[in-house]
Amino acid sequence: MHYQMESWGSYMPTRSVGDPLERVERLASENAVVIFSISTCCMCHAIKRLFCGMGVNPTVYELDEDPRGKEIEKALMRLLGSSSAVPVVFIGGKLVGAMDRVMASHINGTLVPLLKEAGALWL
Amino acid sequence: MASHRFGENGLSADSGSSNYPTFHGISHPVTNYINQQESAFDLGELEEAIVLQGVKSRNDEAKRTFLPARPAATLEMFPSWPMRFQQTPRGSSRSGESTDSGSAQNTFSFQTDSQLEPESPLSEKASNQAIDQKPLQQHHQIEMANDTSKTGASPIQQAKPSEKRRGAGSASEKTLDAKTLRRLAQNREAARKSRLRKKAYVQQLETSRIKLTQLEQELQRARSQGLFLSGAGGAAGGSGTIISSGAAMFDMEYARWLEDDQRHMSELRTALQARLSDGDLRIILDGYLAHYDEIFRLKGIAAKSDVFHLVTGMWATPAERCFLWMGGFRPSELIKILLPQLDTLTEQQFMGICSLQQSSQQAEEALSQGLEQLQQSLADTVASGSLSEGTHVGNYMDQMAMALSKLSNLEGFVRQADNLRQQTLHQMRRILTIRQAARCFLAIGEYYVRLRALSSLWTSRPRENWISDDNSSQTTMEIQMVPPCHNPFSTF
Repeated sequence: MHYQMESWGSYMPTRSVGDPLERVERLASENAVVIFSISTCCMCHAIKRLFCGMGVNPTVYELDEDPRGKEIEKALMRLLGSSSAVPVVFIGGKLVGAMDRVMASHINGTLVPLLKEAGALWL
Repeated sequence: MASHRFGENGLSADSGSSNYPTFHGISHPVTNYINQQESAFDLGELEEAIVLQGVKSRNDEAKRTFLPARPAATLEMFPSWPMRFQQTPRGSSRSGESTDSGSAQNTFSFQTDSQLEPESPLSEKASNQAIDQKPLQQHHQIEMANDTSKTGASPIQQAKPSEKRRGAGSASEKTLDAKTLRRLAQNREAARKSRLRKKAYVQQLETSRIKLTQLEQELQRARSQGLFLSGAGGAAGGSGTIISSGAAMFDMEYARWLEDDQRHMSELRTALQARLSDGDLRIILDGYLAHYDEIFRLKGIAAKSDVFHLVTGMWATPAERCFLWMGGFRPSELIKILLPQLDTLTEQQFMGICSLQQSSQQAEEALSQGLEQLQQSLADTVASGSLSEGTHVGNYMDQMAMALSKLSNLEGFVRQADNLRQQTLHQMRRILTIRQAARCFLAIGEYYVRLRALSSLWTSRPRENWISDDNSSQTTMEIQMVPPCHNPFSTF
């Protein structure tokens, strides 16, 4: 698992503004497994442990450590239609969902093929 | 019933074919006599009938040399005819009572003895005692004295048939005399008293039952209205805990759910045994699954109002609480239990279930670790600042507010855990065939039925510090299966 700091706190001009949702999509497509999280959130911790336990190396964006994290959070809330933005998982650039969707897909056996397809799992 | 019996066989005393004139019945004239009685057939009337028969078969003493000892023994315990028995040993002095003696021999044992004599002054009391045994007595006689010698309180006496026969033989052929009449009247009276007592007792039972149902209704009403003082869920012993209305409501709905569960289970079982078509079975099974979905929905609602009620397992029985994980069962454990119950699995199915177990384990592990982090974070918040210096009001409220918000995350974990359980059940359903799935879900239901039964046994087991009255010592003998010490899960 590696935490992306990209151009977060740097003084480099980032690809300016843009729709936060666009940014989300861009970030999500850059890695096989992308998790948006908040460092103090325990459920985020749980979802991270789930993927690590499966042998996956997800890319994690901690929104509370991003100056524009709030926007992303709001965008994610709108995307999910729920009051809690995190944790949310993208696999292969596609939205999988929050904890309940991830667990449901793991139980019904669709998560692992998805991971393999995205190149996150080789076993 | 008895009169039918008496009328039914064609045995007349004259036939000489039977050795048990009494037990087989009475010939017709006597039957008519019985039928003329208006009141319900009771022993008073029985005796009269028998007496009459005894009179009629006076001639056939010779046949009565033998009566089996055992049936007589069962009858001999009834000291309800003290006067009669009193007469027998003194047969010579009371030849006039021959009728009684004869009938005594007919109806009861030959094993009368002087032991019964002292009871005559207490004849009223004795006959009352006997009244309770009268129905049994009647039963015995009518059943022709089956072999079992029940409640034979008195020891078996020596039979002296011939002697009494002889005493009877000397009697003349008088019919009912004053003494007999009086005794018969006494017996009728005693029977009537016994009937009244029985009626009173039954009435008492009824009123108690009504009172009990009223109390139950009141309790339920109080529960639904919010606070109530009692032990919640299946827990034994009301320790005076107050539970919230959300928890009380959930408990009530859960109780109803359990009843429904029983219904679903028996429906499924019947369907399996009746070998219904797969289509029909599927409908029933889907109904059962919807039933499970319902409890998860209810738990979701309860988690919003009182997550601790779920997490501490107060809604479940003690034995279930042993295995509690995040407010419910651990899916991978359940699968482990179910695997050996599912025979006839294909290779693919077996792999599917193993992989299900593995995924479930991983998910459980992740959730557990998440919860651990929650606990750590909460502990840090509560302990922040110097504990030894006591609370500093300024920070205190902030601290508490933070702790509160962290605590609220608990609901999320319970929801996810329930979600995991629900998904696991549905996946089982998908992997298995209809019949396999039906058996599987029956197995799950039965497992929890047994756990709950275990809980009941546990809570009703005798404990060392119980009052040592007769009742508890009795239960000690009956319920020896659970060791009455040390509940390792009492911390729950």
